[in-house]
This record gives sequence, structure tokens and C-alpha cells, in this order.
Amino acid sequence: MNDLVERIGELLSKLQSSDYLEREEAVEELGNYDTDEAVAGLVIAIEDPNSGIRELAAEHLSKMKGDTAPKLLIHFLGNDDITARNLAAEVLVKIGSRSVPYLIEQIDVDDYDVRKFIVDTLGLIKDENSVDALCQKLWDENINVVCSAAEALGEVGSPKAIDALVAVFEKIEDVQPQALEALGKIGDTRALEHLYRFIETDDPIIQYAGIEAIGNIGSSSSMEVLSKYLNDGDESVSELALMAIINISNNTDGNIDFDIPLDKFSKFLFNGVKEKDPEITSFTINRLKSWFGHDVIYNLIDVLDSVDEDNQKLIIESLGQVGGTASTMLISKFKESSVEIKNIILEIIKQFIDENIARKLIGFVDDEDPGIRQKLAHMIGSSYLPEALPVLKKMAGDEIGHVRSAAYAALGWLCTENEVEFLVKGLDDKFVDVREAAAGAMIMIGTEAVVEKFRKLLFDGNTEKQRISALSLGMIGDSTVVQPLIEAINHPEEEIRRSSIISLARIGDERAIEPIAVALNDESKAVRKSAINSLVILQRQECVPKIKFLLDDEDLWIRYHTINVIGDFRNNEFSEYVLPYLNDEQDVIRIATMKALSKMGCREAMSTIDQFANDSNKDIVDAAHQAITVLDGEK
Amino acid sequence: MEIKVKNEGQVCEVYLNGRLDLASGTNLKEELKKIFDQDKNMIHLNLNDVEFINSSGLGSLVSIMKEVRLRKGRLTLSNLASYVKEIFEITQLSHIFEIYETQEEALSSYQSVTAN
Repeated sequence: MNDLVERIGELLSKLQSSDYLEREEAVEELGNYDTDEAVAGLVIAIEDPNSGIRELAAEHLSKMKGDTAPKLLIHFLGNDDITARNLAAEVLVKIGSRSVPYLIEQIDVDDYDVRKFIVDTLGLIKDENSVDALCQKLWDENINVVCSAAEALGEVGSPKAIDALVAVFEKIEDVQPQALEALGKIGDTRALEHLYRFIETDDPIIQYAGIEAIGNIGSSSSMEVLSKYLNDGDESVSELALMAIINISNNTDGNIDFDIPLDKFSKFLFNGVKEKDPEITSFTINRLKSWFGHDVIYNLIDVLDSVDEDNQKLIIESLGQVGGTASTMLISKFKESSVEIKNIILEIIKQFIDENIARKLIGFVDDEDPGIRQKLAHMIGSSYLPEALPVLKKMAGDEIGHVRSAAYAALGWLCTENEVEFLVKGLDDKFVDVREAAAGAMIMIGTEAVVEKFRKLLFDGNTEKQRISALSLGMIGDSTVVQPLIEAINHPEEEIRRSSIISLARIGDERAIEPIAVALNDESKAVRKSAINSLVILQRQECVPKIKFLLDDEDLWIRYHTINVIGDFRNNEFSEYVLPYLNDEQDVIRIATMKALSKMGCREAMSTIDQFANDSNKDIVDAAHQAITVLDGEK
Repeated sequence: MEIKVKNEGQVCEVYLNGRLDLASGTNLKEELKKIFDQDKNMIHLNLNDVEFINSSGLGSLVSIMKEVRLRKGRLTLSNLASYVKEIFEITQLSHIFEIYETQEEALSSYQSVTAN
């Protein structure tokens, strides 16, 4: 213990050192000792010439337990050194409630500056125990102290202060704005009746502060009173009343049960949205459900890039609700808008596109942004406007691939049979999405002339055109394409043969059965596999005699696939085709065969399958057990 | 093609099953005409069981879309099979039609618009 006292004594001496580092070390170490002597040392250090040391001492003091720190620091509030005084107040605020009794003890000192400082500090601490003392200071002889006391009571926020604040408001004119502000901050509805009375004055300052206070209390019962001020001749008063209503509205989930003359305040509201005021933005966007008109639409477009994404969506939906009228107005704003807004405008207009709107949009197809041109091509095409044809044909020559692609697709939507030759040119484009869009347009037209075009292209020297032609014929998918696709089963390109077979199966024309059966002998494994699947689609079980020879195909996976396909019919009549493969040399074939036979319910196979239950290959054993379980289940 | 119509709420739900081609597309248009005649203009087509669609089927959908627009209504599609999606992609009709992954998403989109 003596050692500690001695050490602290040494540290206190070091605080007088001219060496900055020595003083800093002393303060640092004193912070570790929560004794009265150490605290006293730290209090001395808040007057240190070095600001770093003062801050360090303050930091340690704010963490000290016990009452020594506030008891000593309180005397600094009268210090001439402003830095030390502010630092002491800061520490007292950090210490919080423990400082309050010492501050109250000194609240009547002679120096009014110190009294004011104490009152301000109590306001920052926000402790309910200071309310009585602060209420007394509302009657201090110095008006600065009185005003500070009113402000501090607002900070503390206790309804206990309402009567005192009302009383001081009525007696001392100079404290009225602060008293009103405090009543608003306290936020208790018991103050409302007084506030309603106070705002009935010619003094604009009192009216402003009172209306603001009513808004801060946030009770929907104030709406009627506030609504009277919406029509006040003084714009500041009416806007303040609206702001108070906004506060209340946002406090009560936007529910307001009376009409607000929104048009009168549109400038104020949309400026608030532009300035990203969250309260005004939320209120304004909530009103859009029932607020229409030309000004509103223009204003909404103006603020679109000032709001966040969620609000943007709400605005777009609201504009969408307005319907075609909004479209016309939005178009009139289009040219001068940013790319982002143009995109939003097009997104809204999309819902109402018709020939009239499309005619207007044609005027913007030379927009410098390719994304906009692409969207315009889609929208103009979707209007089915005949005049769009030359415009889209021009756009199909755009320097940007995405624009060309959209233009070709849109030409298809217009179903312009006479333009097949033009569309065919798109199949030569350097970009695949443009080539496919041109093909897509031809698919949409889908006439015999288109089929004939693709039929020729199937055997054109260009493999890409062959691919697109096979794909397109399949998608046109009516009886006119069956013959060209049958011809394509003998195409030199494996992929063309395969996709033709798949398309024929989808179309479901019986003329395809025999040519596909021939394709079961195709040199390509992929084609043979497609042929099996396609025959199953076209013929169901009738295809089995045709495909059974593939059980001996040179390719293991074709054999495997054929067994699976036959097994899937679950018809025991076909088991004789599959049974021999129980003894195949390939494990994978034996496994597929067991599974297929069990699906067919072939109990004759049980004794052979039983033998596999002791096989050295675990997969064979598992397959045998599963097959036996299935067959046993059928017994 | 089988066409089932559930015409109870604000949105008329139409369930298609089978192949959408020239013949079935014509039937579909006739079926929808009956719905339009009842002054309904919000249509949802569930294509979950549409295994095949061709040029003529697409043409029917486009002509239904035109009719819905004339009537200031709304047409949504959902549950497109992968092949149907493919044909919508290549023709870029996905830019004209409102397409949803599921019927629930499509129907709730009507609700959100109504709510607002």
C-alpha cells in the first residue's frame, strides 16, 4: 500500500516535469490507479499545456469510478481557461448521472456564465433527476441562463417540465421560442392544448416554433389545427404547417384522413425530394396514390434521379397508374432527359405502347445511346405499326449489334412476309445474336416462302447458316417443314442430322418414323441416340422392334441407353430382347439389364439375378438386390 | 390441346395442356374471346403443360396480346418449359410478353399493382 502511495506521489511529481514524454507516461500510469490521489493527478493534467496529455487525462477520468472525479471537475466549470473548462464539462457529461448532484450543488453560483454552463452540461447529460433544478433555473435572474434551462429541459425530455415551461412562456417573452422548442422535444401530448393557444399570435417567430413543436409531438389529433395554417398567407407558416403534418403522417404510417391542397405545395414537396429529405420524400411518394395532374407527372420525372431505387420503383408504378396521359407527357420530356431517365421513361411507356405512342417514339431512334436505340426498336416493333417497317429496316443496319438484333426481332413481330429477302441478309451478320434474331423473325413469319429459304440454306456451304436453318425449321414446326427436315437427316453435318431428328420428333409427324429409323444406323453416336429417343416419342412401344438391334451397337453407351429405353416401357413382352445381356461382359450393361428386367417384371430373370448378389463388384451386388426387391414386390 | 379456364377473381387464369399450334391456337383465341366478352381484360396463361409451340402458336399468342392491349388489359405468362423459353428467346418475344417463372409470381404482380 505504501509502495502505491509512494508511486503515485512520484507520478504526481512527474506531472510537473518539463519533459512531455515523462508527463505523458505519468498520466498513462495514473489512469491505472482508481484512487483519489490518482484521480486528483489526472484532474491536474487536464490543464497540461499539451493537448494530447489533456485528452489522455480526460479519457482516463471519464472511466474512473467513484465520485472524486466529478467532485473535483465541477470547479473547472468556472475556470478562465476555456479549453480546460470545456474538457471538464465533456468528462462530466461522459461520467453522466454521477455528475448530476455535484452540478446541481453548484447551480446557484454567482457567476451567471458558470450557471449557464452548468445548465448546458445538465442538458447534455439528459438525466431526469436534474428536472427540478432546471425548472428553478427557468426563473434565474439572467435571461441566458433561463433560455439555457428551457433548452436543457427539452433535451432531458421529461413531461414533468411541461407546466414550468408553459408558465415561463406566459411570463417571460424572451424565452418563448426555446420553451416551445422544448415542449416539442418532450413530445408529450399534454402540451398540445397550450401550443394550439400559443400559435394563435401575430408573432411569426412564435408561430413557427409552435407549429414545429406540434409537428415534433407527432400526434394525429393536431391535424385539424395544423390544416388551418396550410392556407396561411405567409408561405413560411403554411410550409411549416405542412412539414409538421409530414412529421405526424410519417409517425402514423402515412395515415391522414383529410385532404391536403397538395398542388399548392408541389414545389416545396418536390424540392424536398430533390434535396433527398427522407421525411418529405416518404410523404410525397405516399401521396401519389391519390395525386395526379400534369405538374405532378413533370415533377416526378424531374426527381426520378434524386430518389433511391425503391422510391424510383414506386414513382414508376404511380406513373404507370396514370396511364396513357403520362406516356404522352413523358415522351415530351424524353429528348432532354439523361440516359437513366430515358430508360425509366421507356419502361413506363412500355405498358401503354400503341400506334400513336410508337409514332412519337420513332422520332428518337437516332438517340446516341445504343441501349436506348435497342429498347426503342423493341417498343416500336411491339406496336405493330406498319410505318415502323422502314424505320426498323434502317435500324437493322445500326453500327451496334444489339440494336441490329432488336430491329430484326421487331421486324419479325410485324410479320412482314414481303421482307423475307431482307431478313435473310441478317443471317450473314458477324454477331450470333443478330443472326439468331433474323432467324427468329423468319420463324415468326413462318410461311412456305420462309421454309423454302431455310430448306435451301440447309445445304448452303455455310455451316452456321445450316445450323440456324435446322433450328428454325424445327421451331416453325408445322407440316411444311417435315420434308426439309427429313432431307436433313442425311445432312453431312452431324449436328444438323441430330437437331433435325429432334425437331421431327417434336413436330410428331408420322412421315418421319422411317427416316429416323434409318438414322438408327448413323455413324454418329449422338445421332443414333437422338434417333432412339425420337422414335420413342413418335411411336412409343411400337419402336422397340426397330431399335432392338442397337442392343448390339458397337458403342457401349448406345447399348446401355437402348436397354434403359426398352426397360422404361415396363412391358414384359420385351424382356426376351434384354435377357441375354444379363451375361454381358460389361458390368454397366449387366447393371442396366437388371434394372430394366425388374421394371418389366421379368421374374424368369430372378435366379440369374440372384447369382449376382455375391458378385465381387459392389455396384453389381447393389443392382441385384434392388432388382430382387422390385421383383419380389410384384409377386 | 386442353384449355382450362378459371375465371373467378380479377385475373382470369388459363391453363394450357398439350401442343400450341395453328389449330389449338385458334381454339385458344376463341376461348379467350369468350373471356373478353365478359369484359375481363386481365389474363394469365399458365404454360406449364405446353410441351410444344410453333410459329403458328406464337402467332396466336401475339394476336391475343394485341387484343389485350386494345382492351387496355394485361397478359402474363408463366411456367414456360425450356423449349418454349428457347423459342421465346430466339424470337425475342420475351421483350413483349410479361413472363414469370411461376404462376404465383405472376398473380402477385397483379396484386401489387392493384394495391398501389
